[in-house]
Amino acid sequence: MAQLIADRRDIDFVLHEQLNVGELSKHEKFAEFNKKTIDLTISEARNLSIKEILPTRQLGDQEGCRFEGGKVTVPECFHKVWDLFLEGEWLAMPEDPDWGGQGMPRTVSMAAGDYFNGANYAFMMYPGLTHGAAKLVEEFGTPKQKEMFLKNMFTGKWTGTMLLTEPEAGSDVGALNATAVKNDDGTYSISGSKIFISSGEHDLAENIIHPVLARIEGAPAGTKGISLFLVPKIWVNEDGSLAGSNDVVCTGIEEKMGIHANSTCSLTLGGKGQCRGLLLGEENKGMRAMFLMMNEARLLVGMQGLSCASASYLNAVNYARERVQGRNLLQMMDPSTPPVPIIQHPDVRRMLLTMKSYVEGMRSLLYYVGFLGDQIQISDDETEKVRLQGLIDLLIPVCKGYVTDKALEVCSHGIQVYGGYGYIKEYPQEQLLRDCRITMIYEGTNGIQAMDLLGRKLGMNKGKPILDLMAEIQKTIAEAKQVDHLKEHAAKLEAALNKLAETAMHLGATAMSPKVLAAFAFAHPFLEASGDVLMAWMLMWRAVLAAEKLEQGTKKKDTAFYEGQLSSAQFFNSVMLPITIGKMDSILATHPAAVDITEDAFGGK
Amino acid sequence: MEILVCVKRVPDTAENEIEVKGDGTDIERDDLVYSVNEWDNYAVEEAIQIRDKVGGSVTVVTVGDEESEEVLRREMAMGADNGILLSDDAFENSDGKGVAAILKAEIEKGKYDLILTGAQADDGAGQVGGMLAAMMDLPYASLVNLIDVVDDSTLKIGREIEGGNQEMSEIGLPCVLSIQTGINEPRYVGIRGIRKVASVDIPVHGVADLGLPADAVGETGAKVKRMDYFVPEMGDGAEILEGSTEEIIDKLIEHLKAKGGLK
Repeated sequence: MAQLIADRRDIDFVLHEQLNVGELSKHEKFAEFNKKTIDLTISEARNLSIKEILPTRQLGDQEGCRFEGGKVTVPECFHKVWDLFLEGEWLAMPEDPDWGGQGMPRTVSMAAGDYFNGANYAFMMYPGLTHGAAKLVEEFGTPKQKEMFLKNMFTGKWTGTMLLTEPEAGSDVGALNATAVKNDDGTYSISGSKIFISSGEHDLAENIIHPVLARIEGAPAGTKGISLFLVPKIWVNEDGSLAGSNDVVCTGIEEKMGIHANSTCSLTLGGKGQCRGLLLGEENKGMRAMFLMMNEARLLVGMQGLSCASASYLNAVNYARERVQGRNLLQMMDPSTPPVPIIQHPDVRRMLLTMKSYVEGMRSLLYYVGFLGDQIQISDDETEKVRLQGLIDLLIPVCKGYVTDKALEVCSHGIQVYGGYGYIKEYPQEQLLRDCRITMIYEGTNGIQAMDLLGRKLGMNKGKPILDLMAEIQKTIAEAKQVDHLKEHAAKLEAALNKLAETAMHLGATAMSPKVLAAFAFAHPFLEASGDVLMAWMLMWRAVLAAEKLEQGTKKKDTAFYEGQLSSAQFFNSVMLPITIGKMDSILATHPAAVDITEDAFGGK
Repeated sequence: MEILVCVKRVPDTAENEIEVKGDGTDIERDDLVYSVNEWDNYAVEEAIQIRDKVGGSVTVVTVGDEESEEVLRREMAMGADNGILLSDDAFENSDGKGVAAILKAEIEKGKYDLILTGAQADDGAGQVGGMLAAMMDLPYASLVNLIDVVDDSTLKIGREIEGGNQEMSEIGLPCVLSIQTGINEPRYVGIRGIRKVASVDIPVHGVADLGLPADAVGETGAKVKRMDYFVPEMGDGAEILEGSTEEIIDKLIEHLKAKGGLK
């Protein structure tokens, strides 16, 4: 039987052959997580995902969330998997065991997450947001706040959310109007309306803890006057017991294109003047706190995209092996030859190899960024830590923006391979595309990711992170040049890398010139070109390892896997990268058409 | 209650396309994904539930190569207290009686009130449990789908029999039971369990540890020898439908209509 959600061999390859995560167990912090433990962890995450969570994906989509009388109910089938997920203690895998976490390397938790998210990421948003909200408490909470909230959140007894968006404050969070007034007892009275709140109200847990961005009366305008508060749905007494309702009211849920099973709520805080919050961190430092958590949240969104793409790819390749339709092109004229599985058709193979190479490249990139974080955890060299953090900061907009853009393309190919069956609800492909689409929008639209890369990350620390990254890529190129099958492709990667450096310099300089608007009209194409080169790098890195293994001699199944790695790298570097060169030519030309056109000239009036 | 559960590492039939080797001696094992035999998982769950109710311990044991350790570790992460790997080159190619003899030798080193096996294994013949009981002169019940502990010396057990009928019996301890799927819902393994067994050493016992004559087990001791292994040829009147799932369904419906099975 064919594999579902994610190719286990590929996950094992990235963990053990590309990144050698088992080596982390040599350090005391991760001592428990030797290779055997890692493998058992991934096997059990996969077991739970395939047997229990995956069957809820389509059911959850069909049933959706229901809103009645201020209450939201999640799909019925979610209750059982929620309980199983909490029993297995999967919610806070990489966190401190003292607070209910499991102390696992982040890279391993991402591999487990590959299965969980691919099984049903609309479901996984309930634990995912809880994890993110709890991280805010861990990072900025007082000892008392941690005691009151942290363990209950990391164990999923209570869930969490993130309340940023308001009707007039979307991408521009600084425009928000929710207010906070300090009370005599040190709490704050909160009032305001928030929209698009994922997991904002539901019936999975007895309490929901909302981190809320609001403005303390008299605070400066814009992002500098924003503070962060913890606002429980049910007020929590200092001894941890639950008091009454805290005047957080759900006024409705959105009907969406995808992720139907995750409630997207409008919440009114303090409609009756009875909503209280606890200040989390310092007054007016709310945005700073948010930024510190953003890397993690954006990496998770990249992971959601990858998971949809990976599931769509495995479905597509298995379907193409079974679906018999049309004769082989070479026997096209002979009506007596039988029809063949569509995997024999060149255009289907083109789509499948496109999907395969993106999924593999994206998996490697995301795990790699997680792995950089693990290395920071075990390093005691401050300079090295700064270098690693610089790489993470630089790569995050690509992990979010580029990966989710490409994940959607992969899901679209995944429908195409199925033909008409891909478009109907009986098959899983159309849901994966619908669910995947939001990842390009939330947690900072991909346009914002592109601006972050160009405007903040490229010039960060005088450009050192980008130079560090290029040095890493050069190492792989040097190795690939020693391999016969890869020499020619390595030269193409090197040319693309050099051109990317030239493009970055050009765009950076243009952004500092009077042509700044034109530069930013090319921010997204630059994100795309950067992502392409990173895919080519990751695939080349994989291919170098695969070539070594093939030379040493491998088992039958491994041989196919490693040969597949060479194919992905050759395909991407020789078929896709020439297009990237063209994209970079376009960026270097920086034609200002998009900024020069008058608004009237867009027409349609 | 001291409970021993015999488990086996088998090719995962949900994960593999099973192919027979060219020479017909075995299936192609090189590329297979293995997991714990499904029936054994129910037996371990039942043992854990009994232990949690009445106290005692659960030990899981397997006869296999060094890679079989992974299924012991997995079942310990599930909640079994101890694991024992019975492994020795001399055990290779044992027949069912040989495997039972190896298990018997290990069991006699300890003191167990209850011995559970799966009713059968994905790649087995459903014979070890019964042989083990006979060799140890213990009472035995097969296909058990319900266990109630009456007292220290007696269990009430239910057995599934033909036609969906249920049989209830009393059985004296110690005894051997082979467990049918459906007796419980085996729990999933969580990370805490996995972490708990991460650095546990699992003892390995071989011929010498068990005091077994090497020629009583393994290939030399085997009185049943596999002669051939093949996929049966299709008989007359049989047709295997091919194509994608929906194509197979369409063809099946056509056939059923054509032969009067569907009107």
